[in-house]
Amino acid sequence: MTSRRGFLKAGGIALFGVGLGGVPSFVAQAAQMIQAPALFKKRKTLVCIFQRGAMDGLMAVNPFTDQYLKAARPTLFMSAAKNATNKPLIDLDGRFGLHPSMAAFESVFKDGSLAIVHGIGSPNSTRSHFDAQDYMESGTPFNKGTASGWLNRAVGLLGHEAATPFQAVSMTSSLPRSFYGDQPSVAISNLQDFAIQLKGNPNGANMASKSFEDLYDQTSSGLLKETGKESFDAVKMLDKIDTKNYKAANNAIYPNTALGNALKQIAQLIKMDVGLEVAFAESGGWDTHFNQGTTNGIFARNVNDLSECIMAFWTDMGTLQDDVTVMTMTEFGRTVKQNGTGGTDHGRASCNFILGNDVNGGKVHGLVKPLAIENLEDGRDLAVTTDFRSVFSEVADKHLKINNDKLLFPDWTGKHIGMMKG
Amino acid sequence: MKTLLKYFYLPFVLLVGVLFFSSFLVDKSDKGQASFPYKKAGLTDRQAALHLLNRFTYGAKTEDIDFVLKTGLEKWFQQQLTGKLADDSLKQMLSVYDVINLSNQEVSNIYPKGAQVLRRAIKDGYIDKDSVNKADQKEYRNKLKAYMDDKGLKPQQELFRQFINQKILRATYTNNQLQEVLTDFWFNHFNVSITKNDCAMFIPAYERDVIRPNVFGKFENLVLATAKSPAMLYYLDNFSSAGTNTNLEVQPKRNPAMLNQTVNDNMKAAALQKLQQNRKNQGLNENYAREVMELHTLGVDGGYTQQDVTQAAKVLTGWTVFPMDEEGAGGAIKKMIEKVGESKLEERGFIHQGDFLFAANRHDTGEKNVLGKRFTANGGYEEGVQLLTMLAKNPSTAKFITKKLAVRFVSDNPPQSLLDKMSKTFLDKGGDIKMVLTTMVNSPEFWSKEALREKTKSPFELAISAVRTLDADITQPFQLYNWITKMGQKMYYYQAPTGFPDKGQYWINTGALLNRMNFGLALAAQKIPGVRINLAKLNNNHEPESPEAALTTYSKIIMPERDLSETIKRLTPMLSDPDLINKVDKAASNAVVPNASSTMMNADENRLMSDENMMVKPKDPKGKLAVNKAKQSSFGNNTMLAQVVGVIIGSPEFQRR
Repeated sequence: MTSRRGFLKAGGIALFGVGLGGVPSFVAQAAQMIQAPALFKKRKTLVCIFQRGAMDGLMAVNPFTDQYLKAARPTLFMSAAKNATNKPLIDLDGRFGLHPSMAAFESVFKDGSLAIVHGIGSPNSTRSHFDAQDYMESGTPFNKGTASGWLNRAVGLLGHEAATPFQAVSMTSSLPRSFYGDQPSVAISNLQDFAIQLKGNPNGANMASKSFEDLYDQTSSGLLKETGKESFDAVKMLDKIDTKNYKAANNAIYPNTALGNALKQIAQLIKMDVGLEVAFAESGGWDTHFNQGTTNGIFARNVNDLSECIMAFWTDMGTLQDDVTVMTMTEFGRTVKQNGTGGTDHGRASCNFILGNDVNGGKVHGLVKPLAIENLEDGRDLAVTTDFRSVFSEVADKHLKINNDKLLFPDWTGKHIGMMKG
Repeated sequence: MKTLLKYFYLPFVLLVGVLFFSSFLVDKSDKGQASFPYKKAGLTDRQAALHLLNRFTYGAKTEDIDFVLKTGLEKWFQQQLTGKLADDSLKQMLSVYDVINLSNQEVSNIYPKGAQVLRRAIKDGYIDKDSVNKADQKEYRNKLKAYMDDKGLKPQQELFRQFINQKILRATYTNNQLQEVLTDFWFNHFNVSITKNDCAMFIPAYERDVIRPNVFGKFENLVLATAKSPAMLYYLDNFSSAGTNTNLEVQPKRNPAMLNQTVNDNMKAAALQKLQQNRKNQGLNENYAREVMELHTLGVDGGYTQQDVTQAAKVLTGWTVFPMDEEGAGGAIKKMIEKVGESKLEERGFIHQGDFLFAANRHDTGEKNVLGKRFTANGGYEEGVQLLTMLAKNPSTAKFITKKLAVRFVSDNPPQSLLDKMSKTFLDKGGDIKMVLTTMVNSPEFWSKEALREKTKSPFELAISAVRTLDADITQPFQLYNWITKMGQKMYYYQAPTGFPDKGQYWINTGALLNRMNFGLALAAQKIPGVRINLAKLNNNHEPESPEAALTTYSKIIMPERDLSETIKRLTPMLSDPDLINKVDKAASNAVVPNASSTMMNADENRLMSDENMMVKPKDPKGKLAVNKAKQSSFGNNTMLAQVVGVIIGSPEFQRR
C-alpha cells in the first residue's frame, strides 16, 4: 500500500503535453521520463458489455436450418429466405443467420474481425438472473462468496501499475460485481461529474477545489493524500473533455441511448490516452418473456441498439482498432420453445460477440447441436457447450496478455477454443 | 497557538455543556466499574470521550463530549450496550412511515415483484397478454396501475424508499447509537441484497426483526435467526435445497395408518406425492452452507473442507420459507399444508416458526458428518440447530468474528494482543457480543494513539456524521441516500454476500473522494433538498467577525478536540485573497442560496422541499431579501460561511474517525 499507482509509468503525454498551466503532475513526471522509452508503452483496452436480462441467443444468431427450432417457435421463427413480407436473416454461413436488425455487424463479420461464440454459458445451471449474473461476473460459478470480480482480478494481473485512475472504468452509477475487488476502479455514469462542483455556483466550486487540493496535499493520512492528488490530477485531465460537443471520428454516429453514451465516453477516454485498459458498460431489456417480436418489436430494437452502438464505437476507434477488443456477455439464454405470451423464458446457453483485430472472426464458434429434445439441457434449453470462462480467459490472454487462468478463474481448468488469433 | 485556543475554548464549551445538560439526572452510583485505560495511553478525558463517540456513534458534537464526560465514560458505554434509551422524538419522526412495520406476509401481499404483478394482471384480465411490449407504453402502464390500485398493490420501490428513509433518520437521531452502529455491522456481516429480486422485499423485516434485536446478544442467536429468515433463505438459495428423503418415499406405503385414516386419504396421498415431485425438481444447494462457514462463522481459513460444505448443506436441507402466496412452488406447499393440516405435518417432523418452515419432506434423512461431528440419520430440524450452534461456538469463529469487530471498532489492522483477548472472551462467554465489546474497550490497545482517528468513514458514516455535527433538520432523507450512493456505498444493494469491505482503501478512490468533497459543499450550501442546516445557530447565533474567525470557530465546532492548526493554516490564504468578497458575491448573485440563519423555513417546508427548483431559486421575495441583505455585511455572508463549512466537511480530517 505504500505506492498505489505508478502514474509516471505510462500514458497521458500525447494530449496533455501541450496543455500549459494545468498540467497534471503525473504527466509532467511522465514527460521527464520519456527519455526511457520502455516506460512509455501503449496499452490495450478491453471493453466489456453486459447484456442484462439474458439475451435470446437463438434469435440473435439463428440456426435457421433447424426444423426443431421452427417447430418450437411457431410465431417467433425467422427465415433467411428472401421473401417480401419480412426482412430475412443475414445468412452468415449457411447455418446461422444474424438477426436483420443487427445488419451493422455484417461487414465486420465478413471482414473477419467479429467472432460469435454460440452455446456459451455457465456450468452452473441456475436460471436466476441474479445468481447467473453474479457467477458470471465473479467468474466462479459455484461460489457466491468470491469477494472479487473477474475484471478486477484481470486488472491485477496486467503486470504493471495503473497509469492513471482510469485504468478500469465502469460507465455505471455504481460498481458492477465484475469490478469488485482490491484493484482501484472507477464507476461513473457521466465523465463530466468528475469534478469539484456545486450546483449553480461554479465560482464557489473553483475556489473550494483549490482549498481541497491544498488540504489533501498536507494530510497525514497517506491514503487520503495520495488519492486526493490522483483525484485532482484526474479532474484536470478530464477538464478537457467535452462530452456534449464530442465529434466522433470517421462520421460515426452513436445512438442516443444509454449504451451509446457509455461507449462514446469510453471512446473519449481511449483517445485521450489516459491508460484505460478495462472498460465496462451495460445494455438492458433482454428479459423477453412477453411478445419479443421477430423483425420488429422489443428484441429487434435491443439488438439494433447493441449492434449500432458497438459499430459506432468501432468506426470511431478508426486507427486505434488494433488496441481495442469489445466483448459482450449475457447471463444465460432462453428456452428453445416460445412460451404462451409470445416470448421466451429463462434457458441455458446463449451466444456472445467479440470484435477486434486480434479476433479469429468471420466464424460462429462453439457447438450447437440440432435442437431435438434429446440434445437439449433438461429437455428444454440450448445446451451449454462452451464455458464462458474459456472465452473470457482467451480474450484476456490474447488481448491483454494475462496468462494466469488460475488466478483469473480459480476452479476452472478448461481449454481455449481458438476464437482469438495466434 | 494551539494551547491558547484550547484554553480559550474549553471553559466556553464546558459552560454550554453544563447549561445544556443540567436537566439530565445522572446517576453516579454505579460502582465497581473499572475505568477505561485511556490515561495510560496519554489521552485526556475529553479526548477519550471523543474517541468513544467516534467509535460507537455516527458522529459527535461538542455537547456530546460534554454529555459523555458528565455521564462518565464507562457508564455511558454501559447505557449504550442496553440499546434501551428512550427514543421518543425518533419514534415521532418515523411515525409518518406507514409500511416500515409490516410483517413479511403483509409485504408479500402488498408489494409483489413486478413480474408477478404483470402475470396476475394478465390472469385477471386487466391486461391482454398480446399487448405487452406491443401496445402504447403509456396506456399499458395506466392499465397496470389501475390493476394495482384495484387490488391494493403497491410498487416495491416505495417499500424500499420508506425503509431507507427510516434508516437514515434512525442513524442520525437515535439515542441508541451503538445499537444502530452494530445493526449496520451485523447486517453487513450477514449481508443480503436488494439486487436479488427474490429476497428484496424481505429485507426491511430482516434488519428490523432479525438483526437489530440481536446485535448485543449471543452470536449464535444471530446465526440462527439469519439462517431462518426469508431474506437469507432466498438470498443464498437454501429455500430450494432438498436432499434424499428415504422416509417420505417409503412411508406412505409402510405406514398406511398415518395417511389412510380419513375420507380424504387419496387427496392427501396425492398432495404428498405432488410435493415429492416438487422436491425432485430441485436438488442440494450448497450456497448457504458454504457461506455460513466461509463468511458468517469460521472464516475462509477456518479449517473446513468441501466435504464439510456438502455435508452441512445436507444437514440444512428442508430449511425453507413458509409459503406466503399461492403462486409457484410455494403455492403447492401451501395447498398441501392446508389439505394435510399443520398438526399432522408436525407429527411428521415439520416445524413452522413465523416465516420459517422446516419441510421434513425435503430434508435429507441420511447420516452426516461435519467437522468431525456425527449427525445420526433422521435428525430432522434439530440437526441444523446443532450444526449452526456448533459453528457459532467454534474457535475459528471466535477469531474471525472478533477480528472483524476489532477492525470495525479499533483500526484496519488491530494488534494481535487485542485480538487474543477478545477471542478468549468470545469463547469463555459463549459468544456474548456485549462481553466481547467490553473486553475490547477495556483494553489499552483500544485507546492507543495509533487507533485514534485511524478509521476512514464509510460514505454512510460520513454523511450521517456531517448531518449530526451540523445538527441538520432532515425532511427528505432519501436525498442523503442518493449522495451516499454517489460516494460509493449503495446501501442494501451490495451484491456479494461478503458485504462491503471494511477498509479505507475500499472507500477512498478518486471518483468517490471527489464526491465526498462535493457532498460537503452541497450540504453546507443548502443544496441538498430536504436537509436544512442553520450555521449561525451552531455558533449560538454569534456572527464571526471575519472569514478567519469563521474558519477557526467552525473548524472547532465540526471537529472538536483536534489539532487543526495545519488545516487552518492551509485554508487561510484562500480567505485572505483580497478579491475574495468580490468573488463570493459574484458567485452568490449567480446562485441565490437560502439564508441559513433566516427562519424562512416553516410549515411549508415539506412542500418546498419536494421541489428542487424551489430550493435553488426561491420565489419567496422575503428569502431573496434576506440573502441580499446578508451579502451587504462584510461577513454576514452565508455563502462565504457555507463555503468554509463545506470545505471543512470535505476536508481529509473529516473523512476520518
